[in-house]
Amino acid sequence: MFENMLDSYAHYNNLRNMNTYFKVLFSILTMIMSLISTSPVVPSIIAVFMSALILLKAKTPWRFYLKFLLIPFSFALLTFIFMAIFFGVGAHVLELGIFNLAVTQDGFNLGLLVFARIMGGFTCLAFLALTTPMNELFKTLEIVKMPKIILELAMLMYRYIFVFLDEAINMYHAQETRLGYSSLKKSLNSLGMLASNLFIKTWLKGEQAYMAMESRCYDGSIKTMKKTESIKDIGARNLALLVLFEVFLVSVVYFTANFRVF
Amino acid sequence: MHIMEGFLPWEWCLLWYLVAIPVVAYGVIRIKKITDENPESKPLLAVSGAFVFILSSLKLPSVTGSCSHPTGNGLGAVLFGPAVASVLAAIVLVFQALLLAHGGITTLGANIVSMGIVGPFAAWLVYKGVMKLNLSTSGWYASIAIFFAAFFGDWLTYVTTATQLALAFPIPTMGEAFIKFIVIFAYTQVPLAIAEGFLTVFIFRYIMKLRPDILEDLKVIFPKIRETIKAVG
Repeated sequence: MFENMLDSYAHYNNLRNMNTYFKVLFSILTMIMSLISTSPVVPSIIAVFMSALILLKAKTPWRFYLKFLLIPFSFALLTFIFMAIFFGVGAHVLELGIFNLAVTQDGFNLGLLVFARIMGGFTCLAFLALTTPMNELFKTLEIVKMPKIILELAMLMYRYIFVFLDEAINMYHAQETRLGYSSLKKSLNSLGMLASNLFIKTWLKGEQAYMAMESRCYDGSIKTMKKTESIKDIGARNLALLVLFEVFLVSVVYFTANFRVF
Repeated sequence: MHIMEGFLPWEWCLLWYLVAIPVVAYGVIRIKKITDENPESKPLLAVSGAFVFILSSLKLPSVTGSCSHPTGNGLGAVLFGPAVASVLAAIVLVFQALLLAHGGITTLGANIVSMGIVGPFAAWLVYKGVMKLNLSTSGWYASIAIFFAAFFGDWLTYVTTATQLALAFPIPTMGEAFIKFIVIFAYTQVPLAIAEGFLTVFIFRYIMKLRPDILEDLKVIFPKIRETIKAVG
């Protein structure tokens, strides 16, 4: 499954042992830079830089990386086309010659900006998702005083998502081989059966998990072994590089603020 | 449909975060109280959250031939109440952003408002409202309430998304942009919302048939309805 693969890449890549706080700080700050930019220049730089980091430094297979980016890319492209045609009031750049539609100047610029921002933001997100296991990501939230109960819920949920995904796929295949999805009415019925069975199963699993935890001295909090990693371990060199990179981005944001293609 | 990472200008990202945080914080307090009172509810909440994630990654068949995902709002809100559902939705949205590249981190606030707050609250209000009217005690009556809850939970989510996008890109005017986005989201979503309504009814009826005790524990159905189902069945 797709998610399983993503999980295994997050666990086995060349940037896995880098300080988690550093990775989180880096991608969130860069994401914000991409967001505040008013021209497509900075988001494009970020998209290229982040992709290079993911492919060359973390050594994620490019085939998998492209597959991961396909959903946001196709969505961003659709948005670009939609905005270029319908969101302009300025001069026409290109007449389409059908239904009186035309690509307008400001529509094109806005579409390009949003397209670049989506790609910039998503490459940052991909960097985070592909280099850091989910549990470590959640651990960093303790710093912003996220309530413990939420972190525990999230970690348990993450575990069960994969358990239930397997069951759901098994049930789906079983139904499909018995022509369960051959018509609309049957599809709805089968999907209802699948989802309700899954719900009942999840409920039983939850009860069993509680019993198992109770018999192992569960007192309301889940204790896990923690690797001692703190925000102070980032190191002066990494921190300096981070500050330099972000200052560079801010200055590019400032100097290219009025850059437009048309 | 989630709002993609980087789609909204930063002012709107911030605003929607500010709207979402108090509601989610209230939901967290509720969850804390529930799990302090009965510790066994913690794994149950976790598996329910995982269930919502799986539900929202299933493909939903629809009459127009296009496919979409059920939001799971209706079911979640009716089963657990809107405040708890909003917290579960927030966690699910983070997973969807990181695992499936749906949604995003900077637009998380806006997505929580549409999918975790407006949708579940609408579904819950509709369900409670229809049940309060108490027109009939048959099992089908609860199903009708569930159908409308799921329908409005799904549809209002998309109307909220359209509103958010129109506010962020008011070109040429707020009203015209709103109409453009509403045409894309709201109209195409009506058949999907109906499909989700039916799906939720099917799910609900199967659970009612197989394990009505779960629903009774959650105080979703009343013993009276269960008796009539038994009598009919």
